[in-house]
Amino acid sequence: MAQAFAATRPRAARRLRSPYSPSPSGAVLSYAVLGFWAIVVLFPIFWIFVTSFKLPIHVLDGPVYLPFIDFQPSGHAWRYIFVDLRNDTLRPFINTVVVALTSSVLALALGTAAAYGLLRFPYRPRLGAILLLLGAAGLAAVAVAAGVPWVPAVLAAAILFLVLRRWAGQRIGRSFGNDDIAFWMISQRILPPVAVVIPIYVMFQRLHLLDTQLALIITYMTVNLPIVVWLMRDYFRQISIELEESAAIDGASPFRIFLSIVLPLSTPGLVATFLLVLVFSWNEYLLALFLTSANAQTLPLSIAAQNATRGPQWWYMSVLILIMITPVIAMAIALERYIARGLLVGAIKG
Amino acid sequence: MLKVRARSGAGPVGPVPLLRVGGAGTWMERQARSLFLMPAVAMLVALSIFPLCVSLYLSLTRLQFVPGGFRLPFVGLANYRKLIFGIERVHFLGVLAALSPLFWLLFAVVATGLLVFVIRSLRAPESGARGLAGRVFFAAVAGLLVWLLLRALTPGGRPGSLFVTLIYVIVGIAVQYWLGLALAFLASQDLAGRRFFRVVFLLPMMITPVGIAYTFRILFDLGKGPFAPLWQALGLAEVSWVNFPWGARAAVMIGDIWQWTPFMFIVLLAALESLPAELLEAAQVDGASRWQMFWKVMWPQILPVSSTVILIRLIEAFKIIDLPNVLTNGGPGTATESLTLHAFMAWRTLDIGGSAAVAYMLMFLVTFSATAYISFVHRRVAEAA
Amino acid sequence: MRRSLGIFLALLIAAALLPVLPVTAAPGQFAGVTVNVLTFTGPQIAEPLQRRGPAFGRLTGAKINVVTVPFSDLYQKILTDMATGTNSFHVFVFAPQWMADYVTPGYLEDLTPRVNADTALQWNDIGTFFRDFSATYGGRIYTIPLDGDFQMVYYRTDVLQRQGLQPPRTWEDYLRIAAATHKKDLNGDGRADFGSCIAKKRNAQSYWMVWSVAGNFLQAKGTSEGSFFDVDSMKPLVNNDAFAEALRIYVETGKYGPPDELNWDVGDSRGGFTSGRCALTLDWGDIGTLAIDPKTSKVKNKVGAVIIPGTRRVLDRKTGKLVACSSSTCPHAVGGINHSPFAAFGGWSGGINKAAPAKVKEAAYAFLSYMSQPAQANADVTIGITGFNPYRVSQFRNTALWVKAGMSQAAARNYLGAIEASLRSPNMVLDLRIPQNQRYEQVVLDTAIAKLLAKEINIQQAMKEIFDGWEAITNELGRDKQLAAYRATLGVKR
Repeated sequence: MAQAFAATRPRAARRLRSPYSPSPSGAVLSYAVLGFWAIVVLFPIFWIFVTSFKLPIHVLDGPVYLPFIDFQPSGHAWRYIFVDLRNDTLRPFINTVVVALTSSVLALALGTAAAYGLLRFPYRPRLGAILLLLGAAGLAAVAVAAGVPWVPAVLAAAILFLVLRRWAGQRIGRSFGNDDIAFWMISQRILPPVAVVIPIYVMFQRLHLLDTQLALIITYMTVNLPIVVWLMRDYFRQISIELEESAAIDGASPFRIFLSIVLPLSTPGLVATFLLVLVFSWNEYLLALFLTSANAQTLPLSIAAQNATRGPQWWYMSVLILIMITPVIAMAIALERYIARGLLVGAIKG
Repeated sequence: MLKVRARSGAGPVGPVPLLRVGGAGTWMERQARSLFLMPAVAMLVALSIFPLCVSLYLSLTRLQFVPGGFRLPFVGLANYRKLIFGIERVHFLGVLAALSPLFWLLFAVVATGLLVFVIRSLRAPESGARGLAGRVFFAAVAGLLVWLLLRALTPGGRPGSLFVTLIYVIVGIAVQYWLGLALAFLASQDLAGRRFFRVVFLLPMMITPVGIAYTFRILFDLGKGPFAPLWQALGLAEVSWVNFPWGARAAVMIGDIWQWTPFMFIVLLAALESLPAELLEAAQVDGASRWQMFWKVMWPQILPVSSTVILIRLIEAFKIIDLPNVLTNGGPGTATESLTLHAFMAWRTLDIGGSAAVAYMLMFLVTFSATAYISFVHRRVAEAA
Repeated sequence: MRRSLGIFLALLIAAALLPVLPVTAAPGQFAGVTVNVLTFTGPQIAEPLQRRGPAFGRLTGAKINVVTVPFSDLYQKILTDMATGTNSFHVFVFAPQWMADYVTPGYLEDLTPRVNADTALQWNDIGTFFRDFSATYGGRIYTIPLDGDFQMVYYRTDVLQRQGLQPPRTWEDYLRIAAATHKKDLNGDGRADFGSCIAKKRNAQSYWMVWSVAGNFLQAKGTSEGSFFDVDSMKPLVNNDAFAEALRIYVETGKYGPPDELNWDVGDSRGGFTSGRCALTLDWGDIGTLAIDPKTSKVKNKVGAVIIPGTRRVLDRKTGKLVACSSSTCPHAVGGINHSPFAAFGGWSGGINKAAPAKVKEAAYAFLSYMSQPAQANADVTIGITGFNPYRVSQFRNTALWVKAGMSQAAARNYLGAIEASLRSPNMVLDLRIPQNQRYEQVVLDTAIAKLLAKEINIQQAMKEIFDGWEAITNELGRDKQLAAYRATLGVKR
């Protein structure tokens, strides 16, 4: 059993190092380039850190670089953000944490299920059924716009669809396959958020969900589904099917197989995808801007809000940025191995 | 389309139904099928497809305030007409001047390439009528875009938000890829402290784009930024990148490259690291130099990964908004305005129909680019691998 | 079993009685009323509302809940809150310039009867302009002024004195002073500084700055003459010699400014001025209080303010040419110079959502009146962090409060004198307040000015672009409707 397990572990787990060690001059060059880029990466972060301790006059008059040497650091920005604005900082922070975590977990749940389904079960939706689904959804939308309460409208549309499904499928029989469905799901990522944000706003307004965490969670989850499906599908592909087939023969249900065999095997992929989706949700600005006012405001909005009528308040902004990146960086450092391994999908040779 | 690839040594994968002993599928299994896929599909239909249709309708209307509320009267294609032919043309497409001789040459080269591309598919009939139609369509649209782009870039012309976005994407991805690849190669070597570089290089991706935009705004500031003494020492204190369209665009692209090179780096590094040792050892034994080993052995192996990561970045890069918005508010003039920023500014002043129209044009552009890339590059690379 | 049943019954009865039990009554007439106030993320404007809310609560029992959103989204949030029927806010503290889009669909409460009956408010103490124009639309009062927004020119008293220059009275003076002080070291740090710093960044405040210059050339016969359009034909007043001259001046100020002035918004220009790098700047009232704050300023008590520089030549609307100022062409000229202080943006004011419950509206009005009453307002306008600038006559009479805040006597007298001259001017320019003014100003005007400053187009092309753009919007929204709205915003009816 252990052998079978080892044989089916994804190739990526057998991390091999480049057998090539650079020559001394090559090593020097490598360190120079890598070191240069490390400075390029770290300098802006250093600047943010230092700016958070500056008084306005230190920022506006010209650059000062080192605390205690070039200028007297002041904690006024930190005090303002943490003490004066206490709840107005805590609330966005909690919103960001809750929304990002929940939407990532949900996206992962739905996305991995869909990815697995697309890989193991045959779907053959017919064009007729798809058109019927779109038509029913459209009718429901028009009804709701005309004032019909949305519960009966959606229910009616669902019943219409279920009843006429087969008939429509037979009338227009062109059928699609799993790959088509996968392509459709992944292509939803192409959608620019700015194209769909106003209808989403109106939808949530009708449901009285504006300015709530739930609205953001649902939206982020849906926006990130394509990435999860894409990455996990390619990750699952590497898992040999024999293990699952033998479990099926033993009588396990598909759910058991999925939960107790496939998911544990794909942990690196799951972790990496989770982190990627988490970072996207954590840092997202445009959708949060449209869908929230004050109660569900997230931290990126707080940062942008520091640019009010007086121009950007660099010092407050720096504190907020530092608050935002500290948890994410801590997570990234701790799970850096998983990120790399998990993101490497679908095309490992050998 | 992402084809199913046979994997050596791992057994058949793909949509092989899990057969049950004694039956083609029980009620449980049939339900499992739906239950795995339907929630995701339902969410996407509700929050992607449905809003997309509504947005299409909005792009055909114009918001009006009347006593009692607001109206959305239907205006047909007026919003689109404004963008392509009307009063917003300079904003969207730019100032299109007559091509200079050099640019005529460039266009001739590209047009010839496209023609050859179409003719070749005529000669090889395996793709069928639909494949041919697709290629002709692609060549026509690509040709039109290139022609307009060259007319906007030629001396006397000025690119509008459509072409500025294209430039951001093409230049940005090119630089990010090669820079990420170089860094990945260097970091894949046996160097002490590799892990430090790996962790540090990951950081820019973790910061919210709005925060990065404001950070770069102060970094590039001539008076308040940390490089101010450097500009003065170089005698550049009087010159500001802000006043030059290409200077401003370069500033936006620098910020974008800083943020997204880590993404390329981390994926390419993982790819390089999982190349089997035997392959490289064999090349070493054969006497390959370091340069040859990289280009002839390693790089072709990671081409599929490269293609995928470029595709992912391609789709995201078209949506750039934070950097041009914060660095210059789209200025000088409209030089740095991307399509999303264009739509956003229109929305802010209640031009809902115009904003939706611009957003749809963006979607056409991204769909076209992504589909073309997948069909003609990605698939070929994946199949060759 | 019997015992638990008994306990259960007791609890049931207690629960039923609870609503009937007398609740401890809070003092005041608005006990139990919560008023939701929406404004932008401060501290400016939001801070005084948040600070005084509890005090008001103690007086009346009402709970004031201040909610803030990022500034650039406030207009949208207010409009969508009312237009979509969400109505989660009862009070909006916003700029009267946006009033046109809120009043036309009938979203704002008409406050005229309440104001007329309110003596504590001291309505007549408020500057005439803000009373009759800013707070009023179509003859009815819709907002309570909390802040006075108009632009002035600020100058460095020490720098001008050193060079023997007088504060600018015309825009030609302004350019001359800027030229004379450009590239000199104005703050002793060894670097060359700038003659004039104006916020010229696109989509920021540039479209107000340009109108502060242009208004002087376009309007001379009083606020009701208007400066944006012709009151009879609704033709934009941007295709004539006067506007061309104003644009020429606006572009020329850039010659004496920082090299990246195209990317300076008002935060940069204020920062530049208070750190001593600019000799002249054009701005709202905030510089007065910012200059005395040691956290931001190196020019304390070296700052002078003056009414917007004017012009000796104004527009003749019939011919489109510039004519010299005389008693007929410039009835409000001071010393032969026509000044048109521009009340850019309008001055933050509080309005009430018509769809709020009646009791909440009463409480909301009481709160706005409380904030605006001299006892509170006169202290708040001297504190920089409030963002409130003077708008009441009593505020610029009393220098004591300002001296207490840190200004020297002379600086206070100079600052308040400039404010008084501006507020008392019968020729103040009202900001554009017709439906969808954002498209006129922020889209068409701002984009054209940005392109002009970036040298993508010349002055003639810019004028034509603004003219065509404005005409297109006017025609699209209905010429007659826009004309009626324009007339209504300039008219005064009681």
